Amino acid sequence: MNNDRFIVIDRVSKEFGAHGKSAAVRVIDDVSMKIGRGEFIVFLGPSGCGKTTLMRIVGGLEAASCGQVRLDGATVTGPDRKKGMVFQSYSSFPWLDVIGNIRFGMRFRDDISAAEKERLAQYYLELVGLRGFEGYRVNRISGGMRQRLAIARTLAAGPDVLLMDEPFGALDAQNREFLQEQLVGIQKSEQKTVIFVTHDVEEAIFLADRIMLFSARPARVLQEIRVGDHIGTQRPLAVKSTQAFFALRNSILDVTRRLALQTEKIMLQGGMFPA
Amino acid sequence: MTEQRDPHGREGSGPDGQASDAAAPVPETTVWQQLTSFRGNSSRGTDIALGAVGFALLLAIWSGLVVFEVVPKQYLASPQAVVVRLWELLTKYDFLDDIWISIYRVWFAFFLSAIVAIPLGILMSSFRIVNGLTEPIIDFIRYLPVPALVPLTVIWLGIGEASKIALLWMGTFFQLVLLIADDARRVPREYVEVGMTVGAKPSQVLRHIILPAMLPSMVDNLRITLGWCWTYLIIAEIVASDSGIGYVIWSARRYVKTPEVMAGILAIGIIGFLTDQFIRWLHRRAFAYLR
Ligand SMILES: Nc1ncnc2c1ncn2[C@@H]1O[C@H](COP(=O)(O)OP(=O)(O)O)[C@@H](O)[C@H]1O
Ligand SMILES: [Mg+2]
Repeated sequence: MNNDRFIVIDRVSKEFGAHGKSAAVRVIDDVSMKIGRGEFIVFLGPSGCGKTTLMRIVGGLEAASCGQVRLDGATVTGPDRKKGMVFQSYSSFPWLDVIGNIRFGMRFRDDISAAEKERLAQYYLELVGLRGFEGYRVNRISGGMRQRLAIARTLAAGPDVLLMDEPFGALDAQNREFLQEQLVGIQKSEQKTVIFVTHDVEEAIFLADRIMLFSARPARVLQEIRVGDHIGTQRPLAVKSTQAFFALRNSILDVTRRLALQTEKIMLQGGMFPA
Repeated sequence: MTEQRDPHGREGSGPDGQASDAAAPVPETTVWQQLTSFRGNSSRGTDIALGAVGFALLLAIWSGLVVFEVVPKQYLASPQAVVVRLWELLTKYDFLDDIWISIYRVWFAFFLSAIVAIPLGILMSSFRIVNGLTEPIIDFIRYLPVPALVPLTVIWLGIGEASKIALLWMGTFFQLVLLIADDARRVPREYVEVGMTVGAKPSQVLRHIILPAMLPSMVDNLRITLGWCWTYLIIAEIVASDSGIGYVIWSARRYVKTPEVMAGILAIGIIGFLTDQFIRWLHRRAFAYLR
Protein backbone atom coordinates (compact mmCIF):
# COMPACT_ATOMS: atom_id res chain seq x y z
CA MET A 1 0.00 0.00 0.00
CA ASN A 2 1.26 3.43 -0.92
CA ASN A 3 -0.69 5.26 1.72
CA ASP A 4 1.42 8.35 2.03
CA ARG A 5 2.43 8.43 -1.62
CA PHE A 6 -1.00 7.59 -3.01
CA ILE A 7 -0.67 10.30 -5.63
CA VAL A 8 2.78 11.31 -6.76
CA ILE A 9 3.32 14.31 -8.99
CA ASP A 10 6.82 13.78 -10.27
CA ARG A 11 8.59 16.79 -11.80
CA VAL A 12 5.66 17.82 -13.94
CA SER A 13 5.99 20.71 -16.38
CA LYS A 14 3.52 21.89 -18.94
CA GLU A 15 3.85 24.13 -21.93
CA PHE A 16 1.02 25.08 -24.18
CA GLY A 17 2.14 24.69 -27.74
CA ALA A 18 3.41 27.43 -29.93
CA HIS A 19 1.08 27.99 -32.82
CA GLY A 20 1.63 30.55 -35.51
CA LYS A 21 3.69 33.46 -34.28
CA SER A 22 2.95 33.02 -30.57
CA ALA A 23 5.66 31.24 -28.65
CA ALA A 24 5.04 28.32 -26.32
CA VAL A 25 3.76 29.33 -22.89
CA ARG A 26 5.13 27.59 -19.82
CA VAL A 27 2.26 27.14 -17.40
CA ILE A 28 3.67 24.65 -14.90
CA ASP A 29 7.30 24.62 -13.95
CA ASP A 30 8.78 21.45 -12.51
CA VAL A 31 6.18 20.72 -9.82
CA SER A 32 6.54 17.71 -7.52
CA MET A 33 4.47 16.59 -4.57
CA LYS A 34 3.19 13.54 -2.75
CA ILE A 35 -0.37 13.20 -1.59
CA GLY A 36 -1.50 10.65 1.00
CA ARG A 37 -4.59 8.49 0.80
CA GLY A 38 -7.57 10.28 2.32
CA GLU A 39 -5.83 13.63 2.37
CA PHE A 40 -7.62 16.85 1.51
CA ILE A 41 -5.24 18.94 -0.59
CA VAL A 42 -5.99 22.46 -1.76
CA PHE A 43 -4.22 24.09 -4.69
CA LEU A 44 -4.18 27.79 -3.88
CA GLY A 45 -2.80 30.41 -6.21
CA PRO A 46 -3.63 33.48 -8.25
CA SER A 47 -6.02 33.17 -11.20
CA GLY A 48 -4.34 32.02 -14.35
CA CYS A 49 -1.33 30.49 -12.62
CA GLY A 50 -1.94 26.96 -13.81
CA LYS A 51 -3.90 25.26 -11.01
CA THR A 52 -6.60 23.96 -13.31
CA THR A 53 -4.01 22.70 -15.75
CA LEU A 54 -2.14 20.78 -13.05
CA MET A 55 -5.38 19.24 -11.79
CA ARG A 56 -6.35 18.23 -15.31
CA ILE A 57 -2.98 16.54 -15.69
CA VAL A 58 -3.65 14.58 -12.50
CA GLY A 59 -7.06 13.66 -13.94
CA GLY A 60 -5.55 12.49 -17.22
CA LEU A 61 -7.48 15.11 -19.19
CA GLU A 62 -4.30 16.87 -20.19
CA ALA A 63 -0.87 15.41 -20.89
CA ALA A 64 2.21 16.75 -19.09
CA SER A 65 5.00 18.11 -21.29
CA CYS A 66 7.55 16.70 -18.86
CA GLY A 67 7.37 14.41 -15.86
CA GLN A 68 4.52 12.16 -14.81
CA VAL A 69 1.75 11.57 -12.30
CA ARG A 70 1.27 8.24 -10.53
CA LEU A 71 -1.93 7.18 -8.85
CA ASP A 72 -1.55 4.28 -6.47
CA GLY A 73 1.69 3.32 -8.21
CA ALA A 74 0.32 3.40 -11.78
CA THR A 75 1.25 6.14 -14.22
CA VAL A 76 -1.70 8.28 -15.30
CA THR A 77 -2.18 8.08 -19.06
CA GLY A 78 -5.77 9.22 -19.55
CA PRO A 79 -9.09 9.84 -17.85
CA ASP A 80 -11.09 7.07 -16.24
CA ARG A 81 -13.57 6.69 -13.40
CA LYS A 82 -10.80 6.39 -10.79
CA LYS A 83 -10.18 10.12 -11.18
CA GLY A 84 -13.49 11.87 -10.61
CA MET A 85 -13.88 15.48 -11.65
CA VAL A 86 -16.19 18.21 -10.37
CA PHE A 87 -16.05 21.15 -12.74
CA GLN A 88 -16.23 24.88 -12.13
CA SER A 89 -19.25 25.26 -14.36
CA TYR A 90 -22.43 23.30 -14.03
CA SER A 91 -21.82 20.03 -15.72
CA SER A 92 -24.99 18.07 -15.02
CA PHE A 93 -26.98 16.88 -18.01
CA PRO A 94 -30.19 18.86 -18.57
CA TRP A 95 -31.89 15.96 -20.37
CA LEU A 96 -31.71 13.83 -17.22
CA ASP A 97 -33.40 14.50 -13.90
CA VAL A 98 -31.53 14.66 -10.59
CA ILE A 99 -31.51 10.95 -9.85
CA GLY A 100 -30.77 10.23 -13.53
CA ASN A 101 -27.63 12.33 -13.28
CA ILE A 102 -26.50 10.44 -10.18
CA ARG A 103 -27.17 7.11 -11.91
CA PHE A 104 -25.14 8.33 -14.88
CA GLY A 105 -22.07 8.27 -12.65
CA MET A 106 -22.45 4.48 -12.36
CA ARG A 107 -23.74 3.75 -15.82
CA PHE A 108 -20.44 2.41 -17.12
CA ARG A 109 -19.41 0.49 -13.99
CA ASP A 110 -19.40 -3.26 -14.32
CA ASP A 111 -17.95 -3.97 -10.87
CA ILE A 112 -21.33 -3.74 -9.12
CA SER A 113 -24.79 -5.18 -9.74
CA ALA A 114 -27.81 -3.21 -10.92
CA ALA A 115 -29.37 -3.55 -7.46
CA GLU A 116 -26.24 -2.20 -5.83
CA LYS A 117 -26.22 0.71 -8.29
CA GLU A 118 -29.74 1.62 -7.30
CA ARG A 119 -28.87 1.41 -3.61
CA LEU A 120 -25.84 3.64 -4.14
CA ALA A 121 -27.86 6.15 -6.17
CA GLN A 122 -30.25 6.52 -3.25
CA TYR A 123 -27.34 6.67 -0.80
CA TYR A 124 -25.56 9.51 -2.63
CA LEU A 125 -28.83 11.34 -3.18
CA GLU A 126 -29.27 11.31 0.57
CA LEU A 127 -25.63 12.12 1.28
CA VAL A 128 -25.68 15.41 -0.63
CA GLY A 129 -29.10 16.33 0.74
CA LEU A 130 -31.10 16.12 -2.47
CA ARG A 131 -33.72 13.68 -1.19
CA GLY A 132 -37.08 15.00 -2.37
CA PHE A 133 -35.59 16.49 -5.53
CA GLU A 134 -34.85 13.23 -7.35
CA GLY A 135 -37.41 13.88 -10.09
CA TYR A 136 -36.46 17.53 -10.63
CA ARG A 137 -35.03 18.77 -13.88
CA VAL A 138 -31.51 20.09 -13.52
CA ASN A 139 -32.35 23.63 -14.57
CA ARG A 140 -35.10 23.80 -11.97
CA ILE A 141 -32.71 23.45 -9.02
CA SER A 142 -30.38 26.09 -7.59
CA GLY A 143 -26.69 26.50 -8.37
CA GLY A 144 -25.69 25.09 -4.99
CA MET A 145 -27.88 22.03 -5.55
CA ARG A 146 -26.36 21.50 -8.97
CA GLN A 147 -22.88 21.42 -7.52
CA ARG A 148 -24.04 18.99 -4.83
CA LEU A 149 -25.51 16.91 -7.63
CA ALA A 150 -22.18 17.00 -9.47
CA ILE A 151 -20.45 15.80 -6.30
CA ALA A 152 -22.95 12.95 -5.89
CA ARG A 153 -22.58 11.89 -9.53
CA THR A 154 -18.81 11.94 -9.25
CA LEU A 155 -18.77 9.94 -6.00
CA ALA A 156 -21.16 7.41 -7.54
CA ALA A 157 -18.54 6.51 -10.12
CA GLY A 158 -16.41 5.21 -7.24
CA PRO A 159 -13.28 7.34 -7.79
CA ASP A 160 -10.01 6.98 -5.88
CA VAL A 161 -9.51 10.72 -5.96
CA LEU A 162 -11.96 13.58 -6.24
CA LEU A 163 -10.67 16.50 -8.31
CA MET A 164 -12.60 19.70 -7.73
CA ASP A 165 -11.95 22.81 -9.77
CA GLU A 166 -13.35 25.87 -8.00
CA PRO A 167 -16.65 24.06 -7.66
CA PHE A 168 -18.20 26.74 -5.44
CA GLY A 169 -16.81 29.70 -7.38
CA ALA A 170 -20.16 30.66 -8.91
CA LEU A 171 -22.14 30.47 -5.67
CA ASP A 172 -23.14 33.26 -3.30
CA ALA A 173 -21.33 33.54 0.03
CA GLN A 174 -23.98 31.77 2.10
CA ASN A 175 -24.35 28.83 -0.23
CA ARG A 176 -20.63 28.59 -0.55
CA GLU A 177 -20.13 28.32 3.21
CA PHE A 178 -22.91 25.76 3.46
CA LEU A 179 -21.36 23.61 0.75
CA GLN A 180 -17.89 23.89 2.24
CA GLU A 181 -19.24 22.55 5.51
CA GLN A 182 -21.06 19.73 3.73
CA LEU A 183 -17.98 18.84 1.74
CA VAL A 184 -15.88 18.53 4.90
CA GLY A 185 -18.50 16.14 6.28
CA ILE A 186 -18.71 14.11 3.08
CA GLN A 187 -14.95 13.84 2.77
CA LYS A 188 -14.66 12.58 6.36
CA SER A 189 -17.43 10.01 5.97
CA GLU A 190 -16.32 8.77 2.54
CA GLN A 191 -12.62 9.01 3.38
CA LYS A 192 -11.87 10.21 -0.12
CA THR A 193 -8.66 11.75 -1.30
CA VAL A 194 -9.52 15.22 -2.57
CA ILE A 195 -7.64 17.78 -4.61
CA PHE A 196 -9.51 21.05 -4.52
CA VAL A 197 -8.58 24.13 -6.57
CA THR A 198 -9.42 27.63 -5.36
CA HIS A 199 -8.10 31.15 -5.27
CA ASP A 200 -10.07 31.91 -2.09
CA VAL A 201 -7.76 31.84 0.94
CA GLU A 202 -10.47 31.29 3.56
CA GLU A 203 -12.00 28.47 1.59
CA ALA A 204 -8.58 26.89 1.29
CA ILE A 205 -7.87 27.05 5.03
CA PHE A 206 -11.30 25.82 6.06
CA LEU A 207 -11.17 22.77 3.79
CA ALA A 208 -7.55 21.70 3.60
CA ASP A 209 -5.37 19.28 5.42
CA ARG A 210 -2.58 20.73 3.37
CA ILE A 211 -2.46 23.81 1.16
CA MET A 212 -0.13 23.98 -1.81
CA LEU A 213 0.48 27.64 -2.46
CA PHE A 214 1.43 28.31 -6.08
CA SER A 215 3.36 31.17 -7.61
CA ALA A 216 2.03 33.20 -10.49
CA ARG A 217 2.45 31.59 -13.91
CA PRO A 218 4.38 29.44 -14.47
CA ALA A 219 3.12 27.62 -11.38
CA ARG A 220 5.69 26.48 -8.87
CA VAL A 221 4.96 25.34 -5.33
CA LEU A 222 5.93 28.32 -3.19
CA GLN A 223 4.89 26.98 0.13
CA GLU A 224 3.28 23.94 1.62
CA ILE A 225 1.05 24.69 4.59
CA ARG A 226 -0.08 21.97 7.00
CA VAL A 227 -3.32 23.58 8.09
CA GLY A 228 -3.88 21.16 10.97
CA ASP A 229 -0.77 22.52 12.70
CA HIS A 230 -2.41 25.95 12.81
CA ILE A 231 -6.12 25.44 13.37
CA GLY A 232 -6.45 21.76 14.25
CA THR A 233 -8.07 18.96 12.31
CA GLN A 234 -11.69 19.47 13.42
CA ARG A 235 -13.53 21.89 11.16
CA PRO A 236 -16.77 23.20 12.58
CA LEU A 237 -17.89 26.42 10.88
CA ALA A 238 -16.92 28.27 14.06
CA VAL A 239 -13.28 27.63 13.31
CA LYS A 240 -13.56 30.44 10.78
CA SER A 241 -13.81 32.98 13.56
CA THR A 242 -10.91 31.81 15.70
CA GLN A 243 -7.71 33.77 16.24
CA ALA A 244 -5.62 30.99 14.71
CA PHE A 245 -7.73 31.06 11.55
CA PHE A 246 -7.29 34.81 11.16
CA ALA A 247 -3.58 34.61 11.81
CA LEU A 248 -3.11 31.96 9.17
CA ARG A 249 -5.32 33.77 6.71
CA ASN A 250 -3.39 36.98 7.18
CA SER A 251 -0.05 35.38 6.72
CA ILE A 252 -1.20 33.67 3.51
CA LEU A 253 -2.76 36.89 2.24
CA ASP A 254 0.49 38.58 3.04
CA VAL A 255 2.30 36.12 0.83
CA THR A 256 -0.20 36.39 -2.00
CA ARG A 257 -0.21 40.16 -1.80
CA ARG A 258 3.51 40.29 -2.11
CA LEU A 259 3.21 37.74 -4.87
CA ALA A 260 0.96 40.10 -6.71
CA LEU A 261 3.60 42.75 -6.30
CA GLN A 262 6.02 40.45 -8.08
CA THR A 263 8.41 40.26 -5.18
CA GLU A 264 8.75 36.55 -5.26
CA LYS A 265 12.41 36.50 -4.37
CA ILE A 266 11.82 37.83 -0.88
CA MET A 267 9.19 35.20 -0.32
CA LEU A 268 11.34 32.32 -1.32
CA GLN A 269 13.70 32.99 1.56
CA GLY A 270 10.99 31.38 3.67
CA GLY A 271 9.96 31.74 7.27
CA MET A 272 6.55 33.03 6.33
CA PHE A 273 4.40 31.01 8.65
CA PRO A 274 4.44 30.80 12.45
CA ALA A 275 4.55 27.17 13.48
CA MET B 1 -59.01 50.10 -0.16
CA THR B 2 -62.17 52.08 -0.59
CA GLU B 3 -62.07 54.90 -3.02
CA GLN B 4 -62.31 58.35 -1.48
CA ARG B 5 -63.35 61.50 -3.21
CA ASP B 6 -62.84 64.90 -1.70
CA PRO B 7 -65.61 67.50 -1.82
CA HIS B 8 -64.13 69.06 -4.90
CA GLY B 9 -64.54 65.84 -6.77
CA ARG B 10 -60.86 65.20 -7.22
CA GLU B 11 -59.75 61.65 -7.06
CA GLY B 12 -57.34 60.47 -4.35
CA SER B 13 -55.38 62.93 -2.26
CA GLY B 14 -53.78 66.08 -3.51
CA PRO B 15 -50.13 66.94 -3.34
CA ASP B 16 -50.55 67.89 0.32
CA GLY B 17 -52.51 64.76 1.17
CA GLN B 18 -51.40 62.19 3.73
CA ALA B 19 -48.98 59.54 2.67
CA SER B 20 -50.79 56.43 1.58
CA ASP B 21 -49.96 53.22 3.42
CA ALA B 22 -50.41 51.15 0.30
CA ALA B 23 -47.43 50.29 -1.89
CA ALA B 24 -46.92 52.50 -4.89
CA PRO B 25 -48.97 51.00 -7.71
CA VAL B 26 -47.11 49.60 -10.69
CA PRO B 27 -47.66 52.07 -13.48
CA GLU B 28 -50.11 50.61 -15.94
CA THR B 29 -48.88 49.83 -19.40
CA THR B 30 -51.13 49.57 -22.38
CA VAL B 31 -51.17 46.52 -24.61
CA TRP B 32 -49.60 48.69 -27.28
CA GLN B 33 -46.70 49.64 -25.00
CA GLN B 34 -46.11 45.99 -24.12
CA LEU B 35 -46.08 44.94 -27.75
CA THR B 36 -43.73 47.67 -28.88
CA SER B 37 -41.27 47.68 -25.98
CA PHE B 38 -37.71 46.94 -27.06
CA ARG B 39 -37.04 43.21 -26.59
CA GLY B 40 -40.15 42.95 -24.45
CA ASN B 41 -41.73 39.74 -23.21
CA SER B 42 -43.95 37.81 -25.53
CA SER B 43 -46.61 35.25 -24.84
CA ARG B 44 -47.86 32.45 -27.00
CA GLY B 45 -51.33 34.02 -27.24
CA THR B 46 -50.17 37.42 -28.44
CA ASP B 47 -47.69 35.82 -30.85
CA ILE B 48 -50.45 33.83 -32.52
CA ALA B 49 -52.72 36.88 -32.61
CA LEU B 50 -49.96 39.00 -34.16
CA GLY B 51 -49.30 36.32 -36.75
CA ALA B 52 -52.98 36.29 -37.68
CA VAL B 53 -53.00 40.08 -37.96
CA GLY B 54 -49.97 39.90 -40.25
CA PHE B 55 -51.71 37.43 -42.54
CA ALA B 56 -54.89 39.51 -42.54
CA LEU B 57 -52.90 42.60 -43.58
CA LEU B 58 -51.25 40.68 -46.39
CA LEU B 59 -54.63 39.48 -47.63
CA ALA B 60 -56.03 43.01 -47.43
CA ILE B 61 -53.17 44.47 -49.47
CA TRP B 62 -53.43 41.65 -51.96
CA SER B 63 -57.22 42.15 -52.35
CA GLY B 64 -56.71 45.89 -52.63
CA LEU B 65 -54.22 45.49 -55.45
CA VAL B 66 -56.67 43.33 -57.37
CA VAL B 67 -59.90 45.23 -56.61
CA PHE B 68 -58.47 48.62 -57.56
CA GLU B 69 -56.72 47.02 -60.53
CA VAL B 70 -53.33 48.34 -59.53
CA VAL B 71 -52.01 45.20 -61.18
CA PRO B 72 -53.81 43.83 -64.24
CA LYS B 73 -56.00 40.79 -63.54
CA GLN B 74 -54.11 38.38 -65.73
CA TYR B 75 -50.97 38.94 -63.64
CA LEU B 76 -52.47 38.89 -60.17
CA ALA B 77 -55.52 36.81 -59.30
CA SER B 78 -57.73 37.72 -56.36
CA PRO B 79 -57.45 35.65 -53.17
CA GLN B 80 -60.90 34.21 -53.76
CA ALA B 81 -60.03 33.17 -57.31
CA VAL B 82 -56.90 31.43 -56.05
CA VAL B 83 -58.74 29.55 -53.31
CA VAL B 84 -61.52 28.55 -55.68
CA ARG B 85 -58.98 27.34 -58.22
CA LEU B 86 -57.11 25.41 -55.56
CA TRP B 87 -60.36 23.72 -54.59
CA GLU B 88 -61.13 22.83 -58.21
CA LEU B 89 -57.66 21.45 -58.72
CA LEU B 90 -58.02 19.29 -55.66
CA THR B 91 -61.51 18.02 -56.43
CA LYS B 92 -61.50 17.77 -60.23
CA TYR B 93 -57.92 17.53 -61.44
CA ASP B 94 -56.22 15.07 -59.07
CA PHE B 95 -53.98 17.79 -57.70
CA LEU B 96 -53.79 15.76 -54.49
CA ASP B 97 -51.77 13.15 -56.39
CA ASP B 98 -49.27 15.84 -57.38
CA ILE B 99 -49.10 17.03 -53.81
CA TRP B 100 -48.41 13.53 -52.55
CA ILE B 101 -45.70 12.86 -55.09
CA SER B 102 -44.02 16.15 -54.18
CA ILE B 103 -44.21 15.43 -50.45
CA TYR B 104 -42.89 11.95 -51.07
CA ARG B 105 -39.92 13.30 -53.07
CA VAL B 106 -39.08 15.88 -50.43
CA TRP B 107 -39.27 13.50 -47.50
CA PHE B 108 -37.53 10.62 -49.20
CA ALA B 109 -34.60 12.77 -50.35
CA PHE B 110 -34.49 14.50 -46.98
CA PHE B 111 -34.46 11.16 -45.18
CA LEU B 112 -31.59 9.90 -47.34
CA SER B 113 -29.76 13.13 -46.69
CA ALA B 114 -30.22 13.03 -42.93
CA ILE B 115 -29.37 9.37 -42.55
CA VAL B 116 -25.94 9.95 -44.06
CA ALA B 117 -25.36 13.47 -42.75
CA ILE B 118 -26.02 12.71 -39.08
CA PRO B 119 -23.42 9.97 -38.59
CA LEU B 120 -20.90 11.63 -40.91
CA GLY B 121 -21.31 15.01 -39.22
CA ILE B 122 -20.81 13.47 -35.79
CA LEU B 123 -17.74 11.58 -36.99
CA MET B 124 -16.35 14.77 -38.51
CA SER B 125 -16.66 16.51 -35.17
CA SER B 126 -15.06 13.59 -33.34
CA PHE B 127 -12.16 12.55 -35.54
CA ARG B 128 -9.74 14.92 -37.16
CA ILE B 129 -8.97 12.52 -39.96
CA VAL B 130 -12.61 12.32 -41.04
CA ASN B 131 -12.96 16.07 -40.88
CA GLY B 132 -9.71 16.73 -42.68
CA LEU B 133 -10.58 14.41 -45.53
CA THR B 134 -14.18 15.46 -46.07
CA GLU B 135 -14.61 19.07 -45.08
CA PRO B 136 -12.81 20.71 -48.05
CA ILE B 137 -14.77 18.57 -50.52
CA ILE B 138 -18.05 19.29 -48.82
CA ASP B 139 -17.29 22.98 -48.63
CA PHE B 140 -16.55 23.01 -52.34
CA ILE B 141 -19.67 21.17 -53.43
CA ARG B 142 -21.79 23.22 -51.06
CA TYR B 143 -21.10 26.32 -53.11
CA LEU B 144 -22.22 24.79 -56.39
CA PRO B 145 -25.66 26.17 -57.20
CA VAL B 146 -28.16 23.34 -57.38
CA PRO B 147 -29.70 24.43 -60.71
CA ALA B 148 -26.25 24.08 -62.26
CA LEU B 149 -26.35 20.39 -61.37
CA VAL B 150 -29.65 19.74 -63.12
CA PRO B 151 -28.18 18.96 -66.57
CA LEU B 152 -25.76 16.47 -65.02
CA THR B 153 -28.41 14.64 -63.03
CA VAL B 154 -30.56 14.42 -66.14
CA ILE B 155 -27.68 13.06 -68.23
CA TRP B 156 -26.78 10.54 -65.55
CA LEU B 157 -30.17 9.53 -64.26
CA GLY B 158 -32.70 10.60 -66.90
CA ILE B 159 -35.88 12.37 -65.91
CA GLY B 160 -37.25 9.66 -63.62
CA GLU B 161 -37.59 9.79 -59.85
CA ALA B 162 -33.90 9.10 -59.32
CA SER B 163 -32.69 12.37 -60.82
CA LYS B 164 -35.07 14.42 -58.70
CA ILE B 165 -34.13 12.59 -55.50
CA ALA B 166 -30.47 13.00 -56.37
CA LEU B 167 -30.88 16.71 -56.94
CA LEU B 168 -32.67 17.25 -53.65
CA TRP B 169 -30.12 15.12 -51.89
CA MET B 170 -27.23 17.14 -53.26
CA GLY B 171 -28.98 20.37 -52.42
CA THR B 172 -29.41 19.47 -48.76
CA PHE B 173 -26.81 16.91 -47.79
CA PHE B 174 -23.73 19.09 -48.06
CA GLN B 175 -25.29 21.87 -46.05
CA LEU B 176 -26.78 19.55 -43.47
CA VAL B 177 -23.61 17.62 -42.77
CA LEU B 178 -21.73 20.79 -41.85
CA LEU B 179 -24.57 21.98 -39.63
CA ILE B 180 -24.64 18.63 -37.84
CA ALA B 181 -20.87 18.65 -37.36
CA ASP B 182 -21.19 22.10 -35.82
CA ASP B 183 -23.98 20.97 -33.50
CA ALA B 184 -21.78 18.16 -32.27
CA ARG B 185 -18.80 20.47 -31.81
CA ARG B 186 -20.85 22.85 -29.73
CA VAL B 187 -21.55 20.21 -27.06
CA PRO B 188 -19.79 21.64 -23.99
CA ARG B 189 -16.37 20.12 -23.38
CA GLU B 190 -17.34 19.55 -19.74
CA TYR B 191 -20.11 17.14 -20.77
CA VAL B 192 -17.65 15.03 -22.71
CA GLU B 193 -15.11 15.10 -19.90
CA VAL B 194 -17.74 14.14 -17.35
CA GLY B 195 -18.35 11.10 -19.52
CA MET B 196 -14.69 10.17 -19.70
CA THR B 197 -14.20 10.61 -15.94
CA VAL B 198 -17.10 8.29 -15.13
CA GLY B 199 -15.53 5.65 -17.34
CA ALA B 200 -17.37 5.96 -20.66
CA LYS B 201 -15.57 4.77 -23.77
CA PRO B 202 -15.60 7.10 -26.81
CA SER B 203 -18.49 5.23 -28.43
CA GLN B 204 -20.43 5.52 -25.19
CA VAL B 205 -19.66 9.23 -24.95
CA LEU B 206 -21.03 9.64 -28.49
CA ARG B 207 -24.18 7.71 -27.80
CA HIS B 208 -25.01 8.77 -24.25
CA ILE B 209 -23.68 12.33 -24.13
CA ILE B 210 -23.00 13.93 -27.51
CA LEU B 211 -26.14 12.66 -29.18
CA PRO B 212 -28.64 13.73 -26.50
CA ALA B 213 -26.78 17.00 -25.92
CA MET B 214 -26.85 18.00 -29.60
CA LEU B 215 -30.34 16.69 -30.34
CA PRO B 216 -32.34 19.92 -29.81
CA SER B 217 -30.19 22.01 -32.15
CA MET B 218 -29.97 19.12 -34.61
CA VAL B 219 -33.75 18.88 -34.85
CA ASP B 220 -33.86 22.62 -35.50
CA ASN B 221 -31.34 22.29 -38.30
CA LEU B 222 -33.23 19.36 -39.81
CA ARG B 223 -36.38 21.46 -39.78
CA ILE B 224 -34.66 24.32 -41.59
CA THR B 225 -33.04 22.01 -44.13
CA LEU B 226 -36.37 20.38 -44.86
CA GLY B 227 -37.58 23.81 -45.91
CA TRP B 228 -34.72 24.12 -48.42
CA CYS B 229 -35.75 20.79 -49.89
CA TRP B 230 -38.94 22.39 -51.16
CA THR B 231 -36.96 25.04 -53.01
CA TYR B 232 -34.93 22.43 -54.84
CA LEU B 233 -37.98 20.29 -55.45
CA ILE B 234 -39.67 22.98 -57.50
CA ILE B 235 -36.52 23.43 -59.57
CA ALA B 236 -36.35 19.69 -60.17
CA GLU B 237 -40.02 19.42 -61.06
CA ILE B 238 -39.95 22.40 -63.39
CA VAL B 239 -36.99 21.14 -65.37
CA ALA B 240 -37.64 17.47 -65.65
CA SER B 241 -40.95 16.08 -64.57
CA ASP B 242 -44.48 15.17 -65.53
CA SER B 243 -45.93 15.25 -62.05
CA GLY B 244 -45.74 17.16 -58.81
CA ILE B 245 -46.66 20.64 -57.64
CA GLY B 246 -43.78 22.23 -59.55
CA TYR B 247 -44.93 20.57 -62.76
CA VAL B 248 -48.49 21.85 -62.26
CA ILE B 249 -47.28 25.39 -61.66
CA TRP B 250 -45.01 25.34 -64.67
CA SER B 251 -47.66 23.93 -67.03
CA ALA B 252 -50.20 26.50 -65.86
CA ARG B 253 -47.70 29.24 -66.59
CA ARG B 254 -47.61 28.30 -70.24
CA TYR B 255 -51.27 29.31 -70.65
CA VAL B 256 -50.97 32.26 -68.25
CA LYS B 257 -53.40 30.57 -65.86
CA THR B 258 -52.40 32.92 -63.05
CA PRO B 259 -54.92 31.60 -60.48
CA GLU B 260 -53.61 28.08 -61.01
CA VAL B 261 -49.98 29.15 -60.67
CA MET B 262 -50.82 30.95 -57.47
CA ALA B 263 -52.87 28.02 -56.17
CA GLY B 264 -49.82 25.81 -56.57
CA ILE B 265 -47.66 28.29 -54.71
CA LEU B 266 -50.30 28.54 -52.00
CA ALA B 267 -50.33 24.77 -51.63
CA ILE B 268 -46.56 24.69 -51.09
CA GLY B 269 -46.83 27.50 -48.56
CA ILE B 270 -49.50 25.69 -46.58
CA ILE B 271 -47.63 22.38 -46.56
CA GLY B 272 -44.38 24.06 -45.54
CA PHE B 273 -46.03 26.09 -42.83
CA LEU B 274 -47.88 23.12 -41.33
CA THR B 275 -44.80 20.89 -41.39
CA ASP B 276 -42.70 23.57 -39.77
CA GLN B 277 -45.23 24.23 -37.05
CA PHE B 278 -45.59 20.51 -36.40
CA ILE B 279 -41.84 20.04 -35.95
CA ARG B 280 -41.65 23.09 -33.70
CA TRP B 281 -44.42 21.63 -31.59
CA LEU B 282 -42.58 18.31 -31.35
CA HIS B 283 -39.43 20.21 -30.39
CA ARG B 284 -41.23 22.03 -27.59
CA ARG B 285 -42.67 18.78 -26.27
CA ALA B 286 -39.53 16.67 -26.53
CA PHE B 287 -37.10 19.27 -25.22
CA ALA B 288 -39.21 20.86 -22.52
CA TYR B 289 -36.19 20.59 -20.23
CA LEU B 290 -34.52 23.43 -22.11
CA ARG B 291 -36.98 25.90 -20.68
N1 LIG C 1 -5.56 24.73 -23.78
C1 LIG C 1 -4.78 25.81 -23.54
N2 LIG C 1 -4.05 26.37 -24.52
C2 LIG C 1 -3.28 27.44 -24.30
N3 LIG C 1 -3.17 28.05 -23.10
C3 LIG C 1 -3.88 27.56 -22.08
C4 LIG C 1 -4.73 26.42 -22.24
N4 LIG C 1 -5.32 26.16 -21.04
C5 LIG C 1 -4.85 27.07 -20.19
N5 LIG C 1 -3.98 27.92 -20.79
C6 LIG C 1 -3.27 29.04 -20.16
O1 LIG C 1 -2.55 28.52 -19.08
C7 LIG C 1 -2.59 29.40 -17.97
C8 LIG C 1 -3.06 28.67 -16.75
O2 LIG C 1 -4.41 28.34 -16.90
P1 LIG C 1 -5.23 27.60 -15.74
O3 LIG C 1 -4.57 26.32 -15.44
O4 LIG C 1 -6.63 27.53 -16.18
O5 LIG C 1 -5.07 28.61 -14.52
P2 LIG C 1 -5.87 28.68 -13.14
O6 LIG C 1 -6.74 27.49 -13.05
O7 LIG C 1 -4.81 28.72 -12.09
O8 LIG C 1 -6.63 29.96 -13.15
C9 LIG C 1 -3.50 30.55 -18.37
O9 LIG C 1 -2.68 31.65 -18.69
C10 LIG C 1 -4.23 30.04 -19.57
O10 LIG C 1 -4.46 31.09 -20.46
MG1 LIG D 1 -8.84 27.51 -13.05
